[in-house]
Amino acid sequence: MLFFSYFKDLVGREVTVELKNDLAIRGTLHSVDQYLNIKLENTRVVDQDKHPHMLSVRNCFIRGSVVRYVQLPPDGVDIELLHDATRREARGG
Amino acid sequence: MVIGLRQFMARVGTGAGEPVLDTDNGEELVHVQPSVSIALGNRSPDTPGTLYITTKQVVWLSDLDRAKGYAVGFLSLSLHAVSRDPEAYPSPCIYTQIETEADEDDSEDSDSECNDVLDLSKVTEMRLIPSDASQLDTLFQIFCECAELNPEPIEEGEEGGHNWVFSTDQLEDETGEGDDAECHFHQNPTNLIGHSNGDHDLARTVLELQIHDQRFEDAEEMERVSDSSHHQHQ
Repeated sequence: MLFFSYFKDLVGREVTVELKNDLAIRGTLHSVDQYLNIKLENTRVVDQDKHPHMLSVRNCFIRGSVVRYVQLPPDGVDIELLHDATRREARGG
Repeated sequence: MVIGLRQFMARVGTGAGEPVLDTDNGEELVHVQPSVSIALGNRSPDTPGTLYITTKQVVWLSDLDRAKGYAVGFLSLSLHAVSRDPEAYPSPCIYTQIETEADEDDSEDSDSECNDVLDLSKVTEMRLIPSDASQLDTLFQIFCECAELNPEPIEEGEEGGHNWVFSTDQLEDETGEGDDAECHFHQNPTNLIGHSNGDHDLARTVLELQIHDQRFEDAEEMERVSDSSHHQHQ
């Protein structure tokens, strides 16, 4: 549940979600679930010319399985903490 | 269930009723919304119709044409949202993106207003326009709840390339050779981590990864030697 816990800590922050179909959506992380389904608020499409149909939807739900990347705010990433957490998870502890 | 949008024609009774569901496999009707139009890709809306949301899929049935209906499984809905921006679309609606088999860019049907035969399996965008716009938030919530009921199914990988190593116990069964097992083991954690991207399997595989194998212990801490191990010469 490492990434689930990690994303839960990022709720309220601005993230950009890039889907496997290349669509990139920026918004405030509203919530995440155990399948890494993501709900964003105040969303806007990153490359509007390529994806005009999705202008400014208010909230959106993104299926976890179609996410390619989640781009994080640099100050939302504590690398040491992540290192420790992944090591702990790998050890099963 | 098939990926993508498809035709749906199975209605209960004489054809005036609800969609026939896969109740044997636990599919249930969650919500019915009358007076909903459907717009596929860039085409103009089909209307009037009724929207049926089940635990497995979204079904729209035409009120006028009993042979016309569309359905898409939640497994194929990549994204759904409430669209209220009139610049994006004139009517407030639920906007959805549908995953297709080919999944090419710009594969939406661009023959907007004509009645050509539409290849449903290539439709990548679908809008559901309720006549009652105040229902949009409720519909969005229901879509969320039903989407959560449909996580990716866990595949039983039979093909040779799909044999992920989840624990060192598995390694000892498959190989008797300490060296090979170690190489195997070192290759896989990177692959497991790199395979995330929203894949819920990640959480499971990370949890199952255990470095308790005695071979990683310091020599003096080894309390027992494995029976199957060949390297007992210290």
